[in-house]
Amino acid sequence: MSEPAPNATPAIDYVGVGFAYPRPVAGGDGGTVEALRDITLRVEPGERLGILGPNGAGKTTLMRITLGLLPCQRGTVRIFGRTPEQARRERLIGYVPQRSDAELAFPISVRQAVELGPAGRLTGFARLSPDDRRRVEESMSLLGIADLADRPVGKLSGGQFQRTLIARALAVGARVLLLDEPTVGIDVTGQRRFAELLSGLRDRLGVTIVVVSHDLRTIAAASDRVACLSRTLHSHVAPEGLTPAVLAEVFRHDVEGVFGEVHVDAHPAADCDDPAHHHHHHDHAKGGGGA
Amino acid sequence: MRTLEYLFGAPELRATFWPPVVVGLLVAALSSALSVPVVLKRMAFVGQGVSHAAFGGVGVALALGLVVGAAAHGTGLLAVVTLFCIAAALGIAWLSDRPGARTDTAIGIVLAGSMAVGFLLIRAAAGRMRATGLPPPPSVESILFGSVLNVGPGDAVLAAVVAAGVLAVLWWYRRPLLFWAFDEGASPAFGVPSRAMRSLLLIVLALAIVVTMRLAGVVLATALLVLPGAAALELSDRLRPVYAIAMAVGILGVAVGLVLSFEMNWQPGPSIVLALTAMFAAARASSSLRSRPAPPQERPA
Repeated sequence: MSEPAPNATPAIDYVGVGFAYPRPVAGGDGGTVEALRDITLRVEPGERLGILGPNGAGKTTLMRITLGLLPCQRGTVRIFGRTPEQARRERLIGYVPQRSDAELAFPISVRQAVELGPAGRLTGFARLSPDDRRRVEESMSLLGIADLADRPVGKLSGGQFQRTLIARALAVGARVLLLDEPTVGIDVTGQRRFAELLSGLRDRLGVTIVVVSHDLRTIAAASDRVACLSRTLHSHVAPEGLTPAVLAEVFRHDVEGVFGEVHVDAHPAADCDDPAHHHHHHDHAKGGGGA
Repeated sequence: MRTLEYLFGAPELRATFWPPVVVGLLVAALSSALSVPVVLKRMAFVGQGVSHAAFGGVGVALALGLVVGAAAHGTGLLAVVTLFCIAAALGIAWLSDRPGARTDTAIGIVLAGSMAVGFLLIRAAAGRMRATGLPPPPSVESILFGSVLNVGPGDAVLAAVVAAGVLAVLWWYRRPLLFWAFDEGASPAFGVPSRAMRSLLLIVLALAIVVTMRLAGVVLATALLVLPGAAALELSDRLRPVYAIAMAVGILGVAVGLVLSFEMNWQPGPSIVLALTAMFAAARASSSLRSRPAPPQERPA
């Protein structure tokens, strides 16, 4: 696995990425709705990056582009120098979905679930390679679920289930872990332990970690650097730099609420797109070199 | 025991009753294997929609048969019904794939529409066929609920070919199908094409229904695609036991159902469904009796 090095090939390099969906209008050409605009961001190997943004900010679109599931309409994305499609074939990115997406009461064991990471695309007589088998066992050990290997996933706690999904992502030999809303419904202690778990994985494997969430606490706990996304990037700073002023750009409303006890629901991106609040971009790109 | 007499007695009895038994057991193995992903992916109602589409398919085949001749009977009829079912399955998938679509609405429309078209076309075709002295089409009741007399040696061969083909396909794609069934949302990111997996399952579902419906009827064909898997999932949460139990339940249910049908002179469809339902009830009862005092650990919201 790669060591963090300042001038190495970036783990992920977004240059001027833009994407627009066709506007859903019955039977006609309703133009497009811009989901992402001019995203330029360089993620260093071994970094823990948080992407913070409200619902509808384009987080899912950015993830799908990164995973090679949506074409990049404008700009370029490179993952360790490869296109997202190549990266997907070479299994460079391990994806950890929201916990609620997976079927919980499913009749497979933890080991079977983790094996599906490398084995999911195998057909017919193809078998897991010895390397893949070794990675399955190693991933379970690293995540502390080796002793649960034979337990049905339906009998796991929420945290254990999530670690199973992370082990599945690591078992493909990924160099980047991409986590979608990883701590939805986990309490503050759980979030802190989760952040420590991610740091441990980074330290042991040198894996680059990208956490995408609308939840400020998740992002603040689990990231070295934060990119605030609301259709375009508003800033990217160390977590300590998430001042009310910065957050006000992303979550336009109720900034006090974010810091108080009140859980702030994410706001639709449309609310963040108020032309009356047009703002200046911070200088996004450290490198921004082409690919 | 009429069953023994039918299966081991006079040659003409054996010729009549062995084909439905062979078809029943093959169909049981095939449908039981399919029932596990069907139940896990909550596609039972999709199966209902597809099997009722078969009724519409029979109507269309008979109407075509008046023009083309070959379509009203045998392989022609099966070919038309098969195409109709696959089209219905993919149609349901397409309708429910659009953002904001409601799968149950799509199925409800396909189901009711096919029944209406099928019923009117079958009635119209039967009238015409009687008037022109052609052999009459199968009765509506036997299409809906199945009949031992629908099933001949040709059907047994067809069921064997389809069962072997479908089981081979399920085995070949077992890992992508499992990934997709377990975590559809994440499957594309792991190189498992989710739309292709859904279409694959729907197509084999349609094929299973087509070979089941002559024996068990279109209304009840889906029982075989739901009850074995549902019973197995009551009894185990491990993959191989679940498949093994589903197979055992399906095969035993069909065997008991056919014996009931022979002994009581009931139609095979309702007899098989009755046997399978009783087995599901027993599985359910035994799993609630064993139910652990402490439920599995709570998951936070």
